[in-house]
Amino acid sequence: MTFINDFPDQMRIWNFRLLAHHELNGFGSLGEGMSIQVARDGRRILWLAHWGAPKNFTGVDVSDPRKPQVIIQTELPQAQMRSNSLEVSGEIMAVAYQTDKRGEKPAGFDLFDIAAPERPRLISHFDASGAHSRGVHQLWFCDGCYVHMASGAPDYVPRNPRDDQCYRIIDVRNASKPVEVGRWWLPGTAEGDSEPAPERHPPELVGRMSGFRAHNTNVYPERPDRAYVGYIDAGMIILDIGDMSAPRMVSRWDNSPPFHGFTHTVLPLFKRNLLIVTDETTTQDGSDLPKLMWVLDGRDERNPVPIATLPAPSADALRLPGRRVGAHNIHENTPGPYTWKSDQVILGTFFNAGLRAFDISNPYQPKEIGYFVPPASPQSPTGFTSINDVLVDERQVVYSVDRERGGLFVLEMAF
Amino acid sequence: MFGRRLRHPGGARMPVIVVTGFLGAGKTSLIRSLLESPQGAGTAIIVNELGEIGIDQALLRPGSDETILLGNGCLCCRMANDLRETCATLLRERAQGSVPPFERIIVETSGLAEPTPILQTFIAERALRDDFHLRGMVAVVDAASFESTLARFPECLRQVALADRIVVSKTDLIAPDALAHVLAKLHELNPAARAGVAVEGRIAPKFVLEFEPSPPRFAPAAGPRHPSGIETFALVLDAPVQWSGLSQALTTLIALRGPDLLRVKGLVNVQGCPGPVVLHLVQHLVHPPVELQAWPDADRRSRLVFIVRDMTASTVRNVIVAVQEAVSR
Repeated sequence: MTFINDFPDQMRIWNFRLLAHHELNGFGSLGEGMSIQVARDGRRILWLAHWGAPKNFTGVDVSDPRKPQVIIQTELPQAQMRSNSLEVSGEIMAVAYQTDKRGEKPAGFDLFDIAAPERPRLISHFDASGAHSRGVHQLWFCDGCYVHMASGAPDYVPRNPRDDQCYRIIDVRNASKPVEVGRWWLPGTAEGDSEPAPERHPPELVGRMSGFRAHNTNVYPERPDRAYVGYIDAGMIILDIGDMSAPRMVSRWDNSPPFHGFTHTVLPLFKRNLLIVTDETTTQDGSDLPKLMWVLDGRDERNPVPIATLPAPSADALRLPGRRVGAHNIHENTPGPYTWKSDQVILGTFFNAGLRAFDISNPYQPKEIGYFVPPASPQSPTGFTSINDVLVDERQVVYSVDRERGGLFVLEMAF
Repeated sequence: MFGRRLRHPGGARMPVIVVTGFLGAGKTSLIRSLLESPQGAGTAIIVNELGEIGIDQALLRPGSDETILLGNGCLCCRMANDLRETCATLLRERAQGSVPPFERIIVETSGLAEPTPILQTFIAERALRDDFHLRGMVAVVDAASFESTLARFPECLRQVALADRIVVSKTDLIAPDALAHVLAKLHELNPAARAGVAVEGRIAPKFVLEFEPSPPRFAPAAGPRHPSGIETFALVLDAPVQWSGLSQALTTLIALRGPDLLRVKGLVNVQGCPGPVVLHLVQHLVHPPVELQAWPDADRRSRLVFIVRDMTASTVRNVIVAVQEAVSR
């Protein structure tokens, strides 16, 4: 006979250990920008971009992962914008700015000198505002030289307003004067393109957030001549950026239709010739599910082939009240000395279904090996927890953030 | 060499703790106290439906309407298939959400259970070993009746000899010197197992639920060998070993004396592996070795605990050394 002694509260945790939780002074709605700096005095600072106004970014001393301490929290210049994304390289931090409406400012990114973490010093602002631009949604800045980003531009005119973020490469080697060196968009999506406009996915399939625009724009030192781009309704795209002034598409893989679009992140696992591709779920009611994390065989980059998906979480299995349980961000093996590099275990965030870990040692049969779903913050606007992003440092300390005011969770993997 | 390096021997597999103990030893009281503790949350319990014992269900708190009947019988003999099915069903239903998302399983065996087949089921059956990890075996011993039970039932001896932890219950029924005698006897039978004393059926939950990745250091039992011939000793190898040599040596030992290798467990320093390799075998069945990410302490020597019958430490050492040398030549 079997008896099961259920958990007494809403905490759902398996094969993770919660080391600390910080509500970030009541401003615990975080975006998808997480980056680590080790300061000159040895302190380890976790930089977090907020999901929306009024806060811009927060620096948290996580030297002792059991005692995270906020060392600085900054304000946005106005309320109708957000930072959402940031990245640190050395002592320079790039922070994205995206406005709620097109044509507003500031839209672009700032570069800060963070040599003194408590006193970030603005070095420069790169302006990406324009009549058709909301600025920068996401940026990637890992080599100290180039910012790769999903952005509008003053001179970029999409044929459809929903296609307002192209892939842009900005040279920041002179941090005082960032300058664009390359740009790419899906042929046919910009005014003046000779190609026909792409056939749009049915709105009932992809929802109101859809669009042929860039999201994550990852570039790794193993292949500095490649950009791995999640291009939302165009699927995943590998670009040859050997000549940054003229990016060239190597391949494109799109799961939609029949799936529901919104390709978010492409993570190449170079030693294993695999690609992990994530969707983003955008509906609260689960109407766009399944939103998945896919495993692709990348042996021939010209022809990526899906071979598996990471097991989709079930709201029912965890007895979760929320139904936004599809995929979103993953730990991206962000280049640099202070991040964990893993090609056997994938950590991903699934909004209401929390943080989840998967063993992909057999890429044909990924297996869920852990999860963490904290209780919803009492201040959560939706009433649910909504885990938005994850970063793992080289100590294998896991940082994960909530979009719904839950703040920062620091965890240890137990597998 | 051994796949993904793990933080803990069990990796992400569902931990299983097997609780043995003779009839009336206090297994149910122990489990009830665990369930009542915060650390016991998220535990699935599998118990035998042994008619003649009768599980006092009022003592256990059912958390689910779903129950799986193992039927009458003893886990060790007739119930191996049922145990396998029960575990697999539990895991499947957990994934489906039809049972709460438990994070460990406790298997309570019947008093008469012979522990070896249960150990073998979890370490060697392909259907279970990929999803479940035998975290440890706990023997519950009634301090008052231990010696008489030991004399009458060989299963009691096996339960103690093969345990990782021993919980001594009902100590209020005997005098302190008698308790000391029982503890000495338990150490004689199984010096590798830690023994803890339960008070009114309770013991620190950690003692039963958490186990170190390394075998504890222990002093060999003093005095003459137990009449049963069962003996526990540690084998320490100072230098890192070549895996092919050790593997061949164990294969040789199993071929020669498999039935008498009641249980072998420990950490091995394998050449080329930065972390220790966990070894666990029961008679002729070997769990696939796993490598850990880090050593639990500064000691980098291979440390293996052997629980054997009618074998000596020097015999085992000689075989291992000789075969390794032969392989490396």
